[in-house]
Amino acid sequence: MKVIVCYKIVPEEANIEINQDGSLSFANAEWKLSQYDLNAVEAAMQLVEAVGGSVTALTVGDQKIENSKLKKSILARGPEDLYLVKDERLKRADTHLTAAVLAAAVAYIGFDLVLCGEGSSDFYAQQVGIQLGELLQVPVINAVSKITPAGDRLIIERTLEDEIETLELSLPAVLAVTADINVTRLPGMKEILAAGKKPVTEWDLHKIGIRHAGPRVEEVSTLAPEQVARKKILVEGDSEPKIAEFLDYIRKELK
Amino acid sequence: MRRLKNIWVFADKASSLAELCAGGRQLGENVAAVVLGGEETARQAIEQGADQVYWLGLKAEDKMLEDYTRTIAGLLEKHRPELFLLNAGRRTKVVAGRLAALFATSAITDAMQFVIGENGDLQIARLVYGGLAIRLEKPLSAMAIATVGNGVFKAAADGSNRQGTVTEVPWVEDGCRLKLLERRARDTEPVDLAAAARVVGVGRGIGKEEGLAMVYALARQLKAEVACTRPLAEGEKWMSPERYIGVSGTMIKPDMYLALGISGQIQHMTGVNKARVIIAVNKDINAPIFEQSDYGLVGDLYKIIPALLKSRL
Repeated sequence: MKVIVCYKIVPEEANIEINQDGSLSFANAEWKLSQYDLNAVEAAMQLVEAVGGSVTALTVGDQKIENSKLKKSILARGPEDLYLVKDERLKRADTHLTAAVLAAAVAYIGFDLVLCGEGSSDFYAQQVGIQLGELLQVPVINAVSKITPAGDRLIIERTLEDEIETLELSLPAVLAVTADINVTRLPGMKEILAAGKKPVTEWDLHKIGIRHAGPRVEEVSTLAPEQVARKKILVEGDSEPKIAEFLDYIRKELK
Repeated sequence: MRRLKNIWVFADKASSLAELCAGGRQLGENVAAVVLGGEETARQAIEQGADQVYWLGLKAEDKMLEDYTRTIAGLLEKHRPELFLLNAGRRTKVVAGRLAALFATSAITDAMQFVIGENGDLQIARLVYGGLAIRLEKPLSAMAIATVGNGVFKAAADGSNRQGTVTEVPWVEDGCRLKLLERRARDTEPVDLAAAARVVGVGRGIGKEEGLAMVYALARQLKAEVACTRPLAEGEKWMSPERYIGVSGTMIKPDMYLALGISGQIQHMTGVNKARVIIAVNKDINAPIFEQSDYGLVGDLYKIIPALLKSRL
Protein backbone atom coordinates (compact mmCIF):
# COMPACT_ATOMS: atom_id res chain seq x y z
CA MET A 1 0.00 0.00 0.00
CA LYS A 2 1.33 3.40 -0.98
CA VAL A 3 0.54 5.85 1.80
CA ILE A 4 1.16 9.60 1.73
CA VAL A 5 1.15 11.52 5.01
CA CYS A 6 0.56 15.26 4.93
CA TYR A 7 2.06 17.44 7.63
CA LYS A 8 2.28 21.12 8.46
CA ILE A 9 4.97 23.31 9.99
CA VAL A 10 3.57 25.50 12.78
CA PRO A 11 4.97 27.85 15.45
CA GLU A 12 5.32 26.43 18.97
CA GLU A 13 2.13 27.91 20.42
CA ALA A 14 3.42 27.90 24.01
CA ASN A 15 6.13 30.40 23.02
CA ILE A 16 4.00 32.89 21.12
CA GLU A 17 3.98 36.15 23.04
CA ILE A 18 1.38 38.89 23.19
CA ASN A 19 2.52 42.43 22.44
CA GLN A 20 1.19 45.47 24.30
CA ASP A 21 -1.30 46.17 21.49
CA GLY A 22 -2.66 42.61 21.53
CA SER A 23 -0.82 41.54 18.39
CA LEU A 24 1.29 38.39 18.51
CA SER A 25 5.05 38.04 18.56
CA PHE A 26 6.56 34.89 17.07
CA ALA A 27 10.15 35.96 17.81
CA ASN A 28 10.68 33.23 20.41
CA ALA A 29 8.40 30.62 18.86
CA GLU A 30 10.35 27.90 17.11
CA TRP A 31 8.76 26.18 14.12
CA LYS A 32 7.79 22.57 14.69
CA LEU A 33 5.83 19.70 13.16
CA SER A 34 2.17 20.17 13.94
CA GLN A 35 1.41 17.85 16.82
CA TYR A 36 -1.63 16.01 15.42
CA ASP A 37 0.15 15.22 12.15
CA LEU A 38 2.51 12.99 14.14
CA ASN A 39 -0.42 10.67 14.83
CA ALA A 40 -1.06 10.45 11.08
CA VAL A 41 2.60 9.50 10.49
CA GLU A 42 2.42 6.84 13.19
CA ALA A 43 -0.85 5.46 11.75
CA ALA A 44 0.75 5.26 8.30
CA MET A 45 3.80 3.45 9.69
CA GLN A 46 1.67 0.92 11.58
CA LEU A 47 -0.42 0.25 8.47
CA VAL A 48 2.57 -0.34 6.24
CA GLU A 49 4.28 -2.45 8.90
CA ALA A 50 1.15 -4.65 8.84
CA VAL A 51 0.48 -5.00 5.11
CA GLY A 52 3.67 -3.83 3.40
CA GLY A 53 4.11 -0.84 1.13
CA SER A 54 5.65 2.57 1.56
CA VAL A 55 5.07 5.81 3.42
CA THR A 56 5.85 9.15 1.79
CA ALA A 57 5.72 12.46 3.67
CA LEU A 58 4.43 15.63 2.02
CA THR A 59 4.21 19.24 3.07
CA VAL A 60 3.44 22.49 1.28
CA GLY A 61 4.38 26.01 2.34
CA ASP A 62 6.87 28.85 2.04
CA GLN A 63 10.63 28.62 2.64
CA LYS A 64 10.16 27.58 6.28
CA ILE A 65 9.40 23.99 5.21
CA GLU A 66 13.03 23.68 4.06
CA ASN A 67 14.33 23.80 7.64
CA SER A 68 16.70 20.80 7.72
CA LYS A 69 15.96 19.92 11.33
CA LEU A 70 12.26 19.63 10.52
CA LYS A 71 12.92 17.57 7.39
CA LYS A 72 15.00 15.17 9.46
CA SER A 73 12.43 15.17 12.21
CA ILE A 74 9.62 13.97 9.92
CA LEU A 75 11.79 11.41 8.09
CA ALA A 76 13.13 10.02 11.38
CA ARG A 77 9.59 8.98 12.22
CA GLY A 78 9.63 6.44 9.42
CA PRO A 79 8.61 7.77 5.97
CA GLU A 80 11.02 6.61 3.28
CA ASP A 81 10.96 9.83 1.29
CA LEU A 82 9.75 13.41 1.46
CA TYR A 83 8.16 15.83 -1.00
CA LEU A 84 8.07 19.57 -0.43
CA VAL A 85 6.00 21.97 -2.50
CA LYS A 86 7.61 25.31 -1.80
CA ASP A 87 6.29 28.64 -3.00
CA GLU A 88 6.18 32.05 -1.34
CA ARG A 89 2.55 32.36 -2.40
CA LEU A 90 1.78 29.60 0.10
CA LYS A 91 2.89 31.72 3.06
CA ARG A 92 -0.69 32.68 3.92
CA ALA A 93 -2.42 29.75 2.28
CA ASP A 94 -5.97 29.11 3.47
CA THR A 95 -7.50 25.64 3.65
CA HIS A 96 -8.72 25.83 0.05
CA LEU A 97 -5.31 26.67 -1.40
CA THR A 98 -3.53 24.13 0.82
CA ALA A 99 -5.94 21.38 -0.21
CA ALA A 100 -5.68 22.33 -3.90
CA VAL A 101 -1.87 22.20 -3.80
CA LEU A 102 -1.85 18.90 -1.90
CA ALA A 103 -4.35 17.45 -4.40
CA ALA A 104 -2.08 18.30 -7.30
CA ALA A 105 0.99 16.98 -5.48
CA VAL A 106 -0.49 13.63 -4.38
CA ALA A 107 -1.79 13.06 -7.91
CA TYR A 108 1.80 13.49 -9.16
CA ILE A 109 3.29 11.23 -6.50
CA GLY A 110 0.60 8.51 -6.76
CA PHE A 111 -1.12 6.95 -3.73
CA ASP A 112 -3.53 4.38 -2.35
CA LEU A 113 -4.19 6.27 0.86
CA VAL A 114 -3.58 9.81 2.12
CA LEU A 115 -3.53 10.33 5.89
CA CYS A 116 -3.91 13.69 7.62
CA GLY A 117 -4.02 14.73 11.28
CA GLU A 118 -7.26 15.90 12.84
CA GLY A 119 -6.31 19.57 12.47
CA SER A 120 -3.25 21.80 12.58
CA SER A 121 -2.20 22.98 16.02
CA ASP A 122 -2.07 26.62 14.87
CA PHE A 123 -5.40 27.24 13.09
CA TYR A 124 -7.14 23.92 13.74
CA ALA A 125 -9.70 24.36 10.98
CA GLN A 126 -9.92 20.55 10.52
CA GLN A 127 -10.67 21.14 6.86
CA VAL A 128 -7.69 20.38 4.64
CA GLY A 129 -8.06 16.57 4.62
CA ILE A 130 -11.77 16.76 3.86
CA GLN A 131 -11.38 19.28 1.06
CA LEU A 132 -8.46 17.27 -0.33
CA GLY A 133 -10.57 14.09 -0.57
CA GLU A 134 -13.41 15.87 -2.31
CA LEU A 135 -11.03 17.56 -4.76
CA LEU A 136 -9.56 14.14 -5.57
CA GLN A 137 -13.08 12.65 -5.81
CA VAL A 138 -12.21 9.74 -3.54
CA PRO A 139 -13.85 8.54 -0.29
CA VAL A 140 -12.95 10.92 2.56
CA ILE A 141 -13.82 10.96 6.24
CA ASN A 142 -12.58 12.46 9.52
CA ALA A 143 -12.39 11.41 13.19
CA VAL A 144 -10.82 8.04 12.27
CA SER A 145 -9.73 6.31 15.48
CA LYS A 146 -8.83 2.86 14.11
CA ILE A 147 -7.76 1.54 10.70
CA THR A 148 -7.90 -2.17 9.81
CA PRO A 149 -6.77 -3.31 6.37
CA ALA A 150 -9.14 -5.79 4.65
CA GLY A 151 -7.77 -6.80 1.26
CA ASP A 152 -8.14 -3.90 -1.14
CA ARG A 153 -10.41 -2.12 1.31
CA LEU A 154 -10.16 -0.61 4.77
CA ILE A 155 -12.41 -1.05 7.77
CA ILE A 156 -12.27 2.02 9.95
CA GLU A 157 -13.66 3.10 13.25
CA ARG A 158 -14.81 6.66 13.60
CA THR A 159 -15.25 8.37 16.96
CA LEU A 160 -17.94 11.02 16.88
CA GLU A 161 -19.34 13.20 19.66
CA ASP A 162 -21.78 10.59 20.92
CA GLU A 163 -21.32 7.47 18.81
CA ILE A 164 -18.76 5.20 17.21
CA GLU A 165 -19.18 4.14 13.61
CA THR A 166 -17.61 1.24 11.77
CA LEU A 167 -17.23 1.96 8.07
CA GLU A 168 -15.86 0.19 5.04
CA LEU A 169 -14.25 2.05 2.19
CA SER A 170 -12.43 1.35 -1.02
CA LEU A 171 -9.03 2.73 -1.94
CA PRO A 172 -7.81 5.22 -2.96
CA ALA A 173 -9.08 7.33 -0.07
CA VAL A 174 -8.23 10.23 2.25
CA LEU A 175 -8.59 9.88 6.02
CA ALA A 176 -8.11 12.34 8.88
CA VAL A 177 -7.15 10.49 12.07
CA THR A 178 -7.83 11.50 15.67
CA ALA A 179 -5.14 12.51 18.15
CA ASP A 180 -5.80 9.35 20.18
CA ILE A 181 -5.63 6.79 17.36
CA ASN A 182 -2.16 5.83 18.61
CA VAL A 183 0.76 6.83 20.81
CA THR A 184 3.54 8.24 18.67
CA ARG A 185 7.00 6.73 18.89
CA LEU A 186 9.98 8.96 19.56
CA PRO A 187 12.68 8.40 16.94
CA GLY A 188 16.02 7.10 18.23
CA MET A 189 19.53 8.20 17.25
CA LYS A 190 19.67 5.52 14.52
CA GLU A 191 16.47 6.80 12.90
CA ILE A 192 17.63 10.40 13.11
CA LEU A 193 20.94 9.58 11.43
CA ALA A 194 19.21 7.53 8.71
CA ALA A 195 16.76 10.38 8.08
CA GLY A 196 19.54 12.59 6.71
CA LYS A 197 20.14 10.09 3.87
CA LYS A 198 16.52 9.73 2.72
CA PRO A 199 15.52 11.33 -0.60
CA VAL A 200 13.86 14.74 -0.53
CA THR A 201 12.17 16.13 -3.64
CA GLU A 202 11.35 19.81 -3.89
CA TRP A 203 8.74 21.18 -6.27
CA ASP A 204 7.23 24.59 -6.86
CA LEU A 205 3.62 25.33 -7.85
CA HIS A 206 4.52 25.55 -11.53
CA LYS A 207 5.95 22.03 -11.48
CA ILE A 208 2.64 20.54 -10.27
CA GLY A 209 0.59 22.58 -12.71
CA ILE A 210 -0.83 25.27 -10.43
CA ARG A 211 -0.90 28.77 -11.89
CA HIS A 212 -3.45 30.57 -9.75
CA ALA A 213 -2.72 30.44 -6.06
CA GLY A 214 -5.25 32.83 -4.58
CA PRO A 215 -6.81 32.32 -1.14
CA ARG A 216 -10.57 32.43 -0.60
CA VAL A 217 -10.27 33.85 2.89
CA GLU A 218 -8.34 36.96 3.89
CA GLU A 219 -6.93 37.58 7.35
CA VAL A 220 -8.21 40.90 8.70
CA SER A 221 -6.52 40.79 12.10
CA THR A 222 -5.20 38.36 14.71
CA LEU A 223 -5.35 39.78 18.22
CA ALA A 224 -5.34 38.41 21.74
CA PRO A 225 -8.69 39.18 23.35
CA GLU A 226 -8.65 41.76 26.12
CA GLN A 227 -8.72 40.08 29.49
CA VAL A 228 -11.63 41.09 31.69
CA ALA A 229 -10.51 43.01 34.81
CA ARG A 230 -10.80 40.71 37.84
CA LYS A 231 -11.10 41.42 41.56
CA LYS A 232 -7.94 39.44 42.44
CA ILE A 233 -8.94 38.78 46.06
CA LEU A 234 -6.45 36.25 47.40
CA VAL A 235 -6.72 34.13 50.54
CA GLU A 236 -3.42 32.53 51.52
CA GLY A 237 -3.41 29.17 53.29
CA ASP A 238 -5.56 26.09 53.65
CA SER A 239 -6.24 26.15 57.39
CA GLU A 240 -9.90 25.91 58.45
CA PRO A 241 -10.36 29.64 59.13
CA LYS A 242 -8.73 30.50 55.79
CA ILE A 243 -11.01 28.10 53.90
CA ALA A 244 -13.99 29.55 55.80
CA GLU A 245 -12.95 33.06 54.76
CA PHE A 246 -12.70 31.93 51.14
CA LEU A 247 -16.10 30.23 51.37
CA ASP A 248 -17.68 33.45 52.62
CA TYR A 249 -16.59 35.26 49.47
CA ILE A 250 -17.87 32.51 47.22
CA ARG A 251 -21.20 32.17 49.02
CA LYS A 252 -21.85 35.90 48.55
CA GLU A 253 -20.91 35.68 44.91
CA LEU A 254 -23.04 32.65 44.11
CA LYS A 255 -26.13 33.83 45.97
CA MET B 1 -25.54 46.30 11.70
CA ARG B 2 -26.28 45.86 8.01
CA ARG B 3 -27.67 42.55 6.91
CA LEU B 4 -26.92 40.05 4.19
CA LYS B 5 -29.70 39.17 1.77
CA ASN B 6 -29.81 35.42 1.88
CA ILE B 7 -28.53 33.03 4.51
CA TRP B 8 -28.90 29.25 4.52
CA VAL B 9 -28.51 27.03 7.56
CA PHE B 10 -28.11 23.31 8.27
CA ALA B 11 -27.58 21.44 11.54
CA ASP B 12 -27.37 17.86 12.78
CA LYS B 13 -28.97 18.68 16.14
CA ALA B 14 -32.36 20.25 16.87
CA SER B 15 -30.91 22.71 19.40
CA SER B 16 -28.27 23.85 16.89
CA LEU B 17 -30.85 24.27 14.15
CA ALA B 18 -32.84 26.60 16.43
CA GLU B 19 -29.69 28.64 17.18
CA LEU B 20 -28.67 28.87 13.52
CA CYS B 21 -32.18 29.89 12.38
CA ALA B 22 -32.12 32.67 14.97
CA GLY B 23 -28.57 33.63 13.94
CA GLY B 24 -29.66 33.71 10.31
CA ARG B 25 -32.42 36.17 11.25
CA GLN B 26 -29.90 38.45 12.97
CA LEU B 27 -27.52 38.46 10.03
CA GLY B 28 -29.80 38.19 7.01
CA GLU B 29 -33.04 39.38 5.47
CA ASN B 30 -34.07 35.93 4.31
CA VAL B 31 -33.27 32.62 6.01
CA ALA B 32 -33.60 29.20 4.43
CA ALA B 33 -33.08 26.02 6.45
CA VAL B 34 -32.10 22.64 5.05
CA VAL B 35 -33.70 20.10 7.37
CA LEU B 36 -32.89 16.44 7.67
CA GLY B 37 -35.46 14.96 10.04
CA GLY B 38 -39.16 14.57 10.67
CA GLU B 39 -41.91 16.83 9.34
CA GLU B 40 -42.27 18.30 12.81
CA THR B 41 -38.62 19.44 12.75
CA ALA B 42 -39.17 21.05 9.35
CA ARG B 43 -42.17 22.98 10.67
CA GLN B 44 -40.28 23.98 13.80
CA ALA B 45 -37.50 25.51 11.70
CA ILE B 46 -40.03 28.09 10.49
CA GLU B 47 -41.02 28.94 14.07
CA GLN B 48 -37.31 29.22 14.87
CA GLY B 49 -36.71 31.77 12.13
CA ALA B 50 -36.59 30.15 8.68
CA ASP B 51 -38.58 31.65 5.81
CA GLN B 52 -38.15 28.61 3.60
CA VAL B 53 -37.45 25.03 4.60
CA TYR B 54 -35.88 22.58 2.18
CA TRP B 55 -36.87 19.28 3.68
CA LEU B 56 -34.69 16.25 2.96
CA GLY B 57 -37.00 13.91 4.89
CA LEU B 58 -36.02 11.52 7.65
CA LYS B 59 -32.46 10.26 7.44
CA ALA B 60 -32.41 6.78 5.85
CA GLU B 61 -31.09 4.02 8.14
CA ASP B 62 -28.32 3.00 5.73
CA LYS B 63 -27.09 6.53 5.14
CA MET B 64 -24.84 8.86 7.08
CA LEU B 65 -25.53 12.56 7.42
CA GLU B 66 -22.45 13.13 5.25
CA ASP B 67 -24.17 11.27 2.38
CA TYR B 68 -26.48 14.26 1.92
CA THR B 69 -23.62 16.58 0.89
CA ARG B 70 -24.32 16.46 -2.85
CA THR B 71 -28.04 16.97 -2.22
CA ILE B 72 -27.24 20.12 -0.24
CA ALA B 73 -24.71 21.21 -2.88
CA GLY B 74 -27.44 21.02 -5.53
CA LEU B 75 -29.65 23.35 -3.51
CA LEU B 76 -26.82 25.82 -2.87
CA GLU B 77 -25.85 25.78 -6.53
CA LYS B 78 -29.40 26.73 -7.50
CA HIS B 79 -30.06 29.37 -4.83
CA ARG B 80 -26.57 30.80 -4.26
CA PRO B 81 -26.91 32.25 -0.74
CA GLU B 82 -24.19 34.64 0.48
CA LEU B 83 -23.62 32.60 3.60
CA PHE B 84 -24.18 28.94 4.51
CA LEU B 85 -24.02 28.17 8.22
CA LEU B 86 -23.64 24.73 9.80
CA ASN B 87 -23.25 23.84 13.45
CA ALA B 88 -19.72 22.87 14.46
CA GLY B 89 -19.60 19.09 14.79
CA ARG B 90 -17.44 16.31 13.40
CA ARG B 91 -20.02 15.26 10.80
CA THR B 92 -20.93 18.80 9.78
CA LYS B 93 -17.24 19.62 9.33
CA VAL B 94 -17.11 16.89 6.68
CA VAL B 95 -20.18 18.35 4.97
CA ALA B 96 -18.70 21.88 5.19
CA GLY B 97 -15.31 20.79 3.83
CA ARG B 98 -16.75 18.80 0.95
CA LEU B 99 -19.04 21.69 0.03
CA ALA B 100 -16.08 24.09 0.21
CA ALA B 101 -14.19 21.90 -2.25
CA LEU B 102 -17.20 21.62 -4.57
CA PHE B 103 -17.59 25.42 -4.59
CA ALA B 104 -13.81 26.09 -4.73
CA THR B 105 -13.75 27.98 -1.46
CA SER B 106 -12.61 27.61 2.16
CA ALA B 107 -14.92 26.79 5.03
CA ILE B 108 -14.38 28.79 8.22
CA THR B 109 -14.83 26.46 11.18
CA ASP B 110 -15.79 27.06 14.82
CA ALA B 111 -16.89 30.61 14.10
CA MET B 112 -17.52 32.56 17.31
CA GLN B 113 -18.71 35.91 15.96
CA PHE B 114 -20.05 37.42 12.75
CA VAL B 115 -19.63 41.09 11.86
CA ILE B 116 -21.12 42.85 8.86
CA GLY B 117 -19.38 46.12 8.05
CA GLU B 118 -20.92 49.37 6.78
CA ASN B 119 -20.12 48.36 3.22
CA GLY B 120 -21.87 45.02 3.71
CA ASP B 121 -18.62 43.05 4.06
CA LEU B 122 -18.86 39.96 6.18
CA GLN B 123 -16.12 39.19 8.72
CA ILE B 124 -15.96 36.05 10.82
CA ALA B 125 -14.01 35.59 14.07
CA ARG B 126 -12.49 32.33 15.31
CA LEU B 127 -9.89 31.33 17.89
CA VAL B 128 -6.40 30.39 16.72
CA TYR B 129 -3.10 29.23 18.25
CA GLY B 130 -4.78 27.08 20.84
CA GLY B 131 -7.10 29.84 22.00
CA LEU B 132 -4.38 32.47 22.29
CA ALA B 133 -5.88 34.92 19.84
CA ILE B 134 -8.98 35.78 17.87
CA ARG B 135 -8.47 35.84 14.14
CA LEU B 136 -10.87 37.90 12.09
CA GLU B 137 -11.28 36.54 8.57
CA LYS B 138 -13.01 37.92 5.53
CA PRO B 139 -14.42 35.42 3.04
CA LEU B 140 -13.53 36.38 -0.53
CA SER B 141 -15.87 33.97 -2.33
CA ALA B 142 -19.43 34.73 -3.48
CA MET B 143 -20.74 32.19 -0.98
CA ALA B 144 -19.11 31.90 2.45
CA ILE B 145 -19.35 28.62 4.37
CA ALA B 146 -18.92 28.55 8.14
CA THR B 147 -19.47 26.13 11.01
CA VAL B 148 -20.70 27.85 14.16
CA GLY B 149 -19.89 26.93 17.76
CA ASN B 150 -22.64 26.03 20.24
CA GLY B 151 -24.16 29.04 21.95
CA VAL B 152 -22.82 31.66 19.53
CA PHE B 153 -26.43 32.47 18.62
CA LYS B 154 -29.37 32.30 20.98
CA ALA B 155 -32.48 30.47 19.83
CA ALA B 156 -35.55 32.69 19.39
CA ALA B 157 -38.05 32.62 22.26
CA ASP B 158 -41.38 32.22 20.50
CA GLY B 159 -42.08 32.21 16.80
CA SER B 160 -45.34 30.29 16.73
CA ASN B 161 -46.95 32.98 14.52
CA ARG B 162 -44.20 32.85 11.86
CA GLN B 163 -45.07 31.79 8.31
CA GLY B 164 -42.91 29.98 5.81
CA THR B 165 -42.83 27.38 3.08
CA VAL B 166 -41.68 23.75 3.18
CA THR B 167 -40.31 22.20 -0.01
CA GLU B 168 -39.51 18.51 -0.19
CA VAL B 169 -36.14 17.73 -1.74
CA PRO B 170 -35.21 14.28 -3.12
CA TRP B 171 -31.83 12.72 -2.20
CA VAL B 172 -29.12 12.91 -4.84
CA GLU B 173 -26.54 10.09 -5.21
CA ASP B 174 -23.47 11.13 -3.28
CA GLY B 175 -20.27 10.37 -5.15
CA CYS B 176 -17.85 8.29 -3.09
CA ARG B 177 -19.88 6.85 -0.27
CA LEU B 178 -18.48 4.86 2.59
CA LYS B 179 -20.38 1.75 3.64
CA LEU B 180 -21.85 1.93 7.11
CA LEU B 181 -21.28 -1.40 8.86
CA GLU B 182 -22.16 -0.61 12.43
CA ARG B 183 -23.06 2.26 14.70
CA ARG B 184 -23.00 2.18 18.48
CA ALA B 185 -23.44 4.74 21.20
CA ARG B 186 -20.33 5.95 23.02
CA ASP B 187 -20.27 5.25 26.70
CA THR B 188 -19.20 8.80 27.49
CA GLU B 189 -21.73 11.31 28.65
CA PRO B 190 -22.34 14.15 26.23
CA VAL B 191 -20.52 17.30 27.29
CA ASP B 192 -21.72 20.80 26.50
CA LEU B 193 -19.33 23.21 28.13
CA ALA B 194 -20.55 26.14 26.03
CA ALA B 195 -24.04 25.92 27.51
CA ALA B 196 -23.04 25.20 31.13
CA ALA B 197 -24.02 27.78 33.77
CA ARG B 198 -21.23 26.62 36.06
CA VAL B 199 -17.97 24.95 35.15
CA VAL B 200 -15.34 23.33 37.36
CA GLY B 201 -12.00 23.13 35.58
CA VAL B 202 -9.20 20.85 36.66
CA GLY B 203 -5.52 21.03 35.76
CA ARG B 204 -2.26 19.24 36.33
CA GLY B 205 -2.21 20.38 39.96
CA ILE B 206 -4.61 17.55 40.78
CA GLY B 207 -1.53 15.32 40.53
CA LYS B 208 -3.15 11.92 40.13
CA GLU B 209 -6.12 10.45 38.31
CA GLU B 210 -7.77 9.26 41.53
CA GLY B 211 -8.10 12.91 42.52
CA LEU B 212 -10.68 13.43 39.80
CA ALA B 213 -13.36 11.58 41.80
CA MET B 214 -13.62 14.40 44.33
CA VAL B 215 -13.61 16.96 41.52
CA TYR B 216 -16.59 15.25 39.89
CA ALA B 217 -18.30 15.04 43.26
CA LEU B 218 -17.81 18.76 43.81
CA ALA B 219 -19.08 19.52 40.32
CA ARG B 220 -22.20 17.45 40.98
CA GLN B 221 -22.80 19.35 44.17
CA LEU B 222 -22.40 22.68 42.39
CA LYS B 223 -24.50 21.46 39.42
CA ALA B 224 -21.49 22.26 37.28
CA GLU B 225 -19.98 20.71 34.15
CA VAL B 226 -16.36 19.48 34.42
CA ALA B 227 -13.65 20.85 32.13
CA CYS B 228 -9.89 20.38 32.07
CA THR B 229 -6.65 21.74 30.67
CA ARG B 230 -4.96 20.31 27.64
CA PRO B 231 -2.34 18.15 29.45
CA LEU B 232 -5.06 16.25 31.30
CA ALA B 233 -6.88 15.35 28.08
CA GLU B 234 -4.00 14.97 25.65
CA GLY B 235 -0.96 14.13 27.77
CA GLU B 236 -2.41 12.07 30.60
CA LYS B 237 -5.61 11.12 28.75
CA TRP B 238 -7.46 11.18 32.07
CA MET B 239 -10.38 13.05 30.56
CA SER B 240 -12.08 13.10 27.16
CA PRO B 241 -10.98 15.68 24.59
CA GLU B 242 -14.48 17.20 24.65
CA ARG B 243 -13.72 18.46 28.14
CA TYR B 244 -10.62 20.50 27.58
CA ILE B 245 -10.51 24.20 27.01
CA GLY B 246 -7.72 25.19 24.67
CA VAL B 247 -6.83 24.39 21.11
CA SER B 248 -10.26 23.23 19.99
CA GLY B 249 -11.53 26.78 20.26
CA THR B 250 -13.99 26.30 23.05
CA MET B 251 -14.85 29.60 24.65
CA ILE B 252 -17.12 29.14 27.63
CA LYS B 253 -19.27 31.78 29.31
CA PRO B 254 -20.54 30.33 32.57
CA ASP B 255 -21.74 32.34 35.53
CA MET B 256 -18.92 30.76 37.56
CA TYR B 257 -15.66 29.12 36.65
CA LEU B 258 -13.87 27.28 39.45
CA ALA B 259 -10.28 26.43 38.48
CA LEU B 260 -8.65 23.65 40.53
CA GLY B 261 -4.91 23.12 40.17
CA ILE B 262 -4.74 25.18 36.98
CA SER B 263 -1.70 27.37 36.57
CA GLY B 264 -3.36 29.78 34.14
CA GLN B 265 -1.67 29.09 30.83
CA ILE B 266 -2.70 31.77 28.37
CA GLN B 267 -4.69 29.59 25.93
CA HIS B 268 -6.76 28.19 28.76
CA MET B 269 -7.46 31.60 30.23
CA THR B 270 -8.66 32.97 26.89
CA GLY B 271 -11.17 30.14 26.82
CA VAL B 272 -12.63 31.12 30.20
CA ASN B 273 -12.30 34.88 29.81
CA LYS B 274 -16.05 35.34 29.43
CA ALA B 275 -16.95 33.72 32.75
CA ARG B 276 -18.72 36.17 35.09
CA VAL B 277 -16.74 35.06 38.15
CA ILE B 278 -13.45 33.17 38.15
CA ILE B 279 -12.42 31.37 41.32
CA ALA B 280 -9.05 29.64 41.57
CA VAL B 281 -7.46 27.19 43.95
CA ASN B 282 -3.77 26.48 43.51
CA LYS B 283 -0.90 25.60 45.81
CA ASP B 284 1.49 27.97 44.07
CA ILE B 285 0.99 31.59 45.11
CA ASN B 286 2.86 32.70 41.98
CA ALA B 287 0.54 30.85 39.59
CA PRO B 288 -0.53 33.31 36.87
CA ILE B 289 -4.15 32.27 37.33
CA PHE B 290 -4.44 34.38 40.49
CA GLU B 291 -3.82 37.50 38.38
CA GLN B 292 -6.90 36.61 36.35
CA SER B 293 -9.24 35.46 39.09
CA ASP B 294 -11.81 37.23 41.21
CA TYR B 295 -11.16 34.99 44.20
CA GLY B 296 -8.15 32.83 44.87
CA LEU B 297 -7.19 30.38 47.59
CA VAL B 298 -3.59 29.27 47.99
CA GLY B 299 -3.33 25.74 49.33
CA ASP B 300 -3.53 21.98 48.97
CA LEU B 301 -6.35 20.71 46.73
CA TYR B 302 -6.56 17.52 48.76
CA LYS B 303 -7.43 19.54 51.85
CA ILE B 304 -9.52 22.20 50.17
CA ILE B 305 -11.78 20.15 47.85
CA PRO B 306 -12.99 17.87 50.70
CA ALA B 307 -13.64 21.01 52.77
CA LEU B 308 -15.65 22.56 49.93
CA LEU B 309 -17.64 19.32 49.61
CA LYS B 310 -18.38 19.33 53.32
CA SER B 311 -19.45 22.96 53.29
CA ARG B 312 -22.32 22.18 50.84
CA LEU B 313 -21.70 25.40 48.93
